[in-house]
Amino acid sequence: MPRGYPGRVPPAVRARDLLVGYGAAPVCAPVTFTLGSGKVLALVGPNGSGKSTVLRAVIGLLEPVGGSVQVLGAAVDERTAEFRAAVSSVLDDDAYFPSLSVAEHLYLVARGHGVLDAWDRTDELLEEFGLADHAKALPVALSSGQRRRLLLAAGFARPRSLLVLDEPEQRLDRRMRSALAQRLLDEKAAGGAVLLATHDADLVAAVADRALYLADDRNELLSPREAAARISQDPS
Amino acid sequence: MHVPIWRGCAHLGWTGVGIVTELAVVPGDVGEVPSGRAIRRFTAQAARSRAGATLGSLLGSVYYTVVSVAIAAGCAAGAAQTMRGSLPPAPDVAPPQGLSVPALVALVLLGAAGVLVSLAGRLGPVGAGGAEAAWWLGLPVDRSGLLRPAARRIALAAAVAGALVVGLLEASLLGTGALSIVRSAATGGLAAAAAVLLTAVVQSLGVARRRTALAGDLLLAAAGALAAGLALAGVHVDSLPSPPWPVAAAVLVVAAGLAWLVDRRLDRIPARTLREGGSVATHAVGAVVSLDSRELGRALAVGTAAPARRRVGRLRLARGPASALVAADVALLRRSPRHVVQLVLAGLLPVLATVVPQLAGVASVLVAVLAGGAVAASASAEGARHGEMAPVLDRLLPLSARAARRLRMVVPFTATVVWSLAVFAALARWSGTPAGWLALGLAGAPVWAAAAVRAAYRPAPDWTKPLVATPMGALPSGVAGVVARGPDLVVLCLLPTWIAILLRSAGPVLLVAQVALAAIAFAVGSSTSTESMMDRLARQMDEQSKQGGGR
Repeated sequence: MPRGYPGRVPPAVRARDLLVGYGAAPVCAPVTFTLGSGKVLALVGPNGSGKSTVLRAVIGLLEPVGGSVQVLGAAVDERTAEFRAAVSSVLDDDAYFPSLSVAEHLYLVARGHGVLDAWDRTDELLEEFGLADHAKALPVALSSGQRRRLLLAAGFARPRSLLVLDEPEQRLDRRMRSALAQRLLDEKAAGGAVLLATHDADLVAAVADRALYLADDRNELLSPREAAARISQDPS
Repeated sequence: MHVPIWRGCAHLGWTGVGIVTELAVVPGDVGEVPSGRAIRRFTAQAARSRAGATLGSLLGSVYYTVVSVAIAAGCAAGAAQTMRGSLPPAPDVAPPQGLSVPALVALVLLGAAGVLVSLAGRLGPVGAGGAEAAWWLGLPVDRSGLLRPAARRIALAAAVAGALVVGLLEASLLGTGALSIVRSAATGGLAAAAAVLLTAVVQSLGVARRRTALAGDLLLAAAGALAAGLALAGVHVDSLPSPPWPVAAAVLVVAAGLAWLVDRRLDRIPARTLREGGSVATHAVGAVVSLDSRELGRALAVGTAAPARRRVGRLRLARGPASALVAADVALLRRSPRHVVQLVLAGLLPVLATVVPQLAGVASVLVAVLAGGAVAASASAEGARHGEMAPVLDRLLPLSARAARRLRMVVPFTATVVWSLAVFAALARWSGTPAGWLALGLAGAPVWAAAAVRAAYRPAPDWTKPLVATPMGALPSGVAGVVARGPDLVVLCLLPTWIAILLRSAGPVLLVAQVALAAIAFAVGSSTSTESMMDRLARQMDEQSKQGGGR
C-alpha cells in the first residue's frame, strides 16, 4: 500500500522551504514545491543557481541545510530499499564498469530491480536509445553522447514512481531529444512523476506542467512558456 | 498499477527479497530482487570473462606474489635482526633527561595508531567509488552484501599492516624472543583491525570523515607531545612487556565484536559518504600507481577541510604581488592541521634520536635528521604543490615564473629555519662540541626549501616513453630521475651537514661549504626547466650533430 495518507496517494515530492547547499552556505533561496504523480516539474535557472543541488537533496545524496523534503509521503532516506526501488535518478555520473558491456550494464539495473524479463527489456531499450549496434561494446569504446544515452536508458530500465533527471538533454542530438521528450510524456501518462533540471527551453515547453526558476534571492513558479522564455534570456 | 511481486526466481537462480511497495511505472513483470552478493558475483563474472586470464597466468601471479612477499619479509626480518645487533645496551644509569627505547616504541605505536585512524577516516573507511557508486548503490538490494568484501578488505589490510609494524619494531628495537614477537604482532594486528573497524562504526553513525581524520591527527600529535614530555621529565620505562595470550584473546573478541557491528550497520552508511570515501580511495590508488606523491597528498586531503570558515582571513601580510603569494602560502599552511602536526613531529624526530641513549649513534641520528628535514620541508611546501597543480596566483600576479618559484621557497625556508634551530641545538648537545651547529643548521635551511619546491614542481613521469621491466613492474624510462628531483639537492647540497654529523663536529670549513652549496641549491630550485641533466646533454649532442651534418 502506498505510504502517507490512508486512501490517498501521497505526492511524489513535497519540499517546504528546502534550503540546499554545501556546508552551511545555501546556494539558492528556500525552495517550496509539490510534485504529484503524473506530473513533470522542471527546475530551470542559470548555471550555479542550485538546480543540481536541489536534485541531490531530493534523492538523498545531500543533507538539506534547512527546511524539509518528502518523497512519496516519507522523509528522504536513500538507505531504505523502498526509497531506492521507487526513485530512479540520472545524474552526471560518468562512471562505468570497464569490463561490462552496454547490454550488461542495462541488464544489471533491470535485474537488480527484480525485472524478470530483464534481457527483453534491455533489448528494447538498446533499440529505443540507439545503442543496439553497441550492445556488446565496452564503455571505453563509446562516445560521450552514447554514454549519456546509456545512462538515460538505465534510468528507464527499472520500476519507479519518481524519475529525477539532471540536464538529460546534455550531449544528445535533436532526434534523441525529441525521443526523450516523448518518453517523458509517456512517463506522465503512465502515472510517473518527473523532476528534471534543464537548460532546454524546448524540452520544458514540450513536457513540463510547471517550472521552478531558481535564483539567489527568490524562486519563481512559472508556466512552461514563461520558463522557456526565461531560459532563452539567461546569460549561460 | 498493481505490481505482481512474489514470482519465482529469475533464470540465473538469484535469491533475494521482495520489495513490498507499489510503483507507478513498471517495465515488465517484477519478481524478487536479487541479493547484494548476487549482484557482486554477476559483475565479477562478467569482468572475469573478459579478462582473458588463464589458470596458468593466475597461478603465476599467485606464485610471484608469494615469492615477493616472502623475499620482502625475509629482508625485513634480516634488517630488524641487524639493527637489533647493532644497538648498544641500555646504560646502567639512566640520564636525567631522555627516553628509553621501550618508551619510544610505545609512543611510536601510539603515533602509528593515530596515522591509521587518520588514514581510515580520510578513505572512508568503507567506500564505493566510480562504477560501484553509480550502478550498485541505487539498486534496492541489501547494501551489506555489496559492501561486505570492501569492509573485510580494509580490516584485513589494517591487521596485516599492524602485525608487520609491531613485529618489526619489537624484533629490531626490543629484541625479545620469537614467541614474544609473534604474540605482539598478533595482538598489534588485531588492535589495528579493531581501530579501523571502530572508524567504520563511527562512519555508520554519520560522523563526518574530517572529524575522524582530525582525531587521528590529534592522536599522532599526542604521541609527539608525550614523547617530548617524558623526555624532559626523564621518566624511564625499562621494558615493554609483550602482551600475554589472554590479552591477545581479549583484543580478538573486541575486534570480532566490532566486525559484527560493522556488518550489521553497513546498510546504515549513506550513499554520499560511501561515494566520498570511494572517490578518495580511487584517487589515492591512482596516485600511488602513477608514482605521484603530490597527488596522493591531495587525494587524502579531499573533504577533510571544513566546508566553510567562520571568519574571512585578512591576509594582512599581502602588500604587493610578492607578499600576496607568500601570504597565500602561509594561510594554506595555517589551515592545514595535518601539515602543522607533521612539522612538529619532524622536529621531534631528530631530537628524540639524540636523547634515546641506544639510538644516539651517528647512523641513527643521520637518518633521523634526513627524515625529519624531508618531512618538515615537504609539509611546509603545500603552497608550491598547489601552485604546480593550479598556477592561478602565479599567473594572476605580475611575477615571472622564476620569481614565483623563489617566493614559494619563503614558507618552507621559514619553517626549516625554526626546525633547524630546534634540531641543531639538540645536535650541538649530542655532539659534545657545540660550536658551529646552529650556524650550520641555518646555512642548510635554503637547501631544504629549494629541494621542497623542486620536488613540488617536478614533472609527472612520462608514461609514453619506453617501459623498463623492474621488480616493481614496468616503469617508464627516466622515472628515477623524475622521482629524484628534490631529494637530489638534499643528498648533494647538504653534504657538509652529513659530514658534520658523521664527524660529530661542525667546523668552519664545513660551514663555508654549506653556505656555498646552499647558494647553488637556491639557483637550481629557482630554475623552471624540467629537463634532467642527461636530457639536456642528449639534446645538446643532437643539436651539435645536426649542425655538423648541415655543414
